[in-house]
Amino acid sequence: MSRLRKDPRAERATKTVAEAGRRPRLDLGRREASPASGRPRRDPWREWAASLAGETVTGPERKRYDRSQRQMNRADAARFAKERQSLDATDISPGQPALRVVEAPAFAVFAVVEAAGGRLSRFDRQVLGAARLLADAGDGGGAVVAIVPESVEALGEAGADRVLALPGAATPAIRASMLRSAVEEHGPRHVILAEEGDSADIARRLAACLGEPLFADVEHLTARQAVRAIRGGRAEIGLAPPRLMTIGEDRAKPHEAVPCEARPLEDAAAARLDDPAILSVEIIPGDPAKLALSETDFVVSAGNGVNDFAAFRDLAAVMKATPGASRVVCDAGLMPRQAQVGASGTVLAADCYLALGISGAPQHLQGIAGCEHVIAVNTDLHAAMIERAGLAIVQDAQLVMPALLKLLQERGA
Amino acid sequence: MKTIVLLSDARNPVSGRAQLSRLEAQAIGLAADLDETPQGLHVGPGEEGVAAGLGHGLRGLDVVEAPEGEDPLPALAAFLKDALSGDAPPALVLCGRRGEGGLETGLVPYLLAEALGLPILADAVAMRPGEAPGTLVVDQAMAKGARRRITARLPAIVTVHPLSSPPQPFAFGRMRRGDIRRHAAAVCEVPVDVGAGERPHRARPKLMRTAGTASGGANLHVGPEPEEAARLILAYLEENGIRGYGRG
Ligand SMILES: Cc1cc2nc3c(=O)[nH]c(=O)nc-3n(C[C@H](O)[C@H](O)[C@H](O)COP(=O)(O)OP(=O)(O)OC[C@H]3O[C@@H](n4cnc5c(N)ncnc54)[C@H](O)[C@@H]3O)c2cc1C
Repeated sequence: MSRLRKDPRAERATKTVAEAGRRPRLDLGRREASPASGRPRRDPWREWAASLAGETVTGPERKRYDRSQRQMNRADAARFAKERQSLDATDISPGQPALRVVEAPAFAVFAVVEAAGGRLSRFDRQVLGAARLLADAGDGGGAVVAIVPESVEALGEAGADRVLALPGAATPAIRASMLRSAVEEHGPRHVILAEEGDSADIARRLAACLGEPLFADVEHLTARQAVRAIRGGRAEIGLAPPRLMTIGEDRAKPHEAVPCEARPLEDAAAARLDDPAILSVEIIPGDPAKLALSETDFVVSAGNGVNDFAAFRDLAAVMKATPGASRVVCDAGLMPRQAQVGASGTVLAADCYLALGISGAPQHLQGIAGCEHVIAVNTDLHAAMIERAGLAIVQDAQLVMPALLKLLQERGA
Repeated sequence: MKTIVLLSDARNPVSGRAQLSRLEAQAIGLAADLDETPQGLHVGPGEEGVAAGLGHGLRGLDVVEAPEGEDPLPALAAFLKDALSGDAPPALVLCGRRGEGGLETGLVPYLLAEALGLPILADAVAMRPGEAPGTLVVDQAMAKGARRRITARLPAIVTVHPLSSPPQPFAFGRMRRGDIRRHAAAVCEVPVDVGAGERPHRARPKLMRTAGTASGGANLHVGPEPEEAARLILAYLEENGIRGYGRG
């Protein structure tokens, strides 16, 4: 019904070529070039080049390609993205990735990162990725200014054009007032923070003292709009990206293309600020052994392949990790039920998971679906956990545990 | 130490009915450890949901009656300003992190602190009076189970973290006994500006967190020496910034 009917007369008319001084000619082979859609065309050659996994070592030299559409880890994804895009970017020197330089930025986008211990966390990378997105929005030309509490490595790869260090703040109140003076000095178009811990606190302090609205916990961010849920997740509002935003975890993609330069900005003599209401500040480090599985960031877990549980508990304590276990182990009463990881136990939010002698049953893998780094030690090369892991070691867990303990003792941990 | 707990107009996410927010119930529990007679303060059309706070340990509840959908901030600030300049000023104002069922920006405590000129501390999991009079020791929750112990001068506003101790059990008789004082709000008629373009929520997927050697990449080691395996594991942990051993 909805299909267009052919109109032979009109078709004939489009295929008729009229040339001056000659009789109209009918060119049946002629096709109008369709208008360009603007979508980049696939380049199969480049895709092949990116999927090159290596070359055979033995026998006649043959290339190995991995064309499976599996999830790539970050290193592979970065390689893939580089292969696909940097070919067009100007390479400064062959072999070195091109560096993206924004010499005179049209505007600034602040990305406030926590970077505990001088390293960017996943969430920090996402905040920088969101800032990159907004800096390149529209005509682009914006610069991402990373606001860091101390010196942080790999900011350029994460998409920062400039770095502004605001060191030496003990409390969120002081950090917020330092950030406020930076905002007043540089007048950024957007300020993006993470909706977590101190960043969430600072964002609200900043909003209160600048007297500006805060668009909190953004769920969806594009160059044109930012969306957040309201009314207990029953409604949402979408606006053009506002000035002050906090972004939820796992909501924005980290920057993965050509690295930026991360040029340090010298700040105008940071005033030493004091918080008159705060008398003392003391940081009490957390004890991973006492944390609940759902809170911790690193879990060492034992399965049916482990039989020396005293050594396992020692190992978890020395590695500063929270002990976990598979269901088989909990059912046997070797570990408490709270330690069970999986669909009927705890679903982890940890960054890293070390699985000793766990086969990786689907019910168990569900529990670690959120872990970015998985290490598996198993005697079975074909165990599902080995496939899931980012570092897979096919070895007896009973031998690896004492070796780890010994190595850690040597390092004095 | 006289303590006031701010109670928001929380809504059940499924039924939409007024209820007491769990975080505020936890705040009441913390307040009850510091103050024999913790008081609640609510600005809104009635005490329908928040009266449950009396059952969780509040002794009294002040309800400033304001029409639904109005910005509670001016009424809250006016009430607290009166209380702070009165003869028994509160030393501590506790609140949750953000409203439930409204705009949920979590800005109210901060704007209140700005309006009253009080310091604000976020994410408290435990509190006790400091050694010097007029001070409070607050444990703030941080990532990875760490705590920041801050000694602050009172009066102050403190927001509560979900990891603080669970609320006291609800007792119906306690709720009936607690007294509710109603006040009329000065008319201010500042409607909360809901951004135009409110629309039904659409669930959006989060980024996937996956990484693996699925294709048998460089990180698959078959039968290494145990010492080598241990070294590989520690190197992997250090490279990815999970833990550093021996170097602090
Ligand atoms: C409804 C339902 C819900 C479930 N929920 C959960 C859940 O929440 N969590 C959960 O964990 N399970 C759950 N299970 C159970 C799950 O299906 C598996 O049975 C369980 O996870 C297997 O545990 P495992 O890997 O420790 O043991 P096994 O499957 O026995 O695996 C042991 C592994 O250790 C390896 N191994 C053996 N010896 C050594 C050695 N010396 N060194 C190194 N490796 C060695 C073996 O190769 C094997 O891969 C559930 C099951 C059902 C039916």
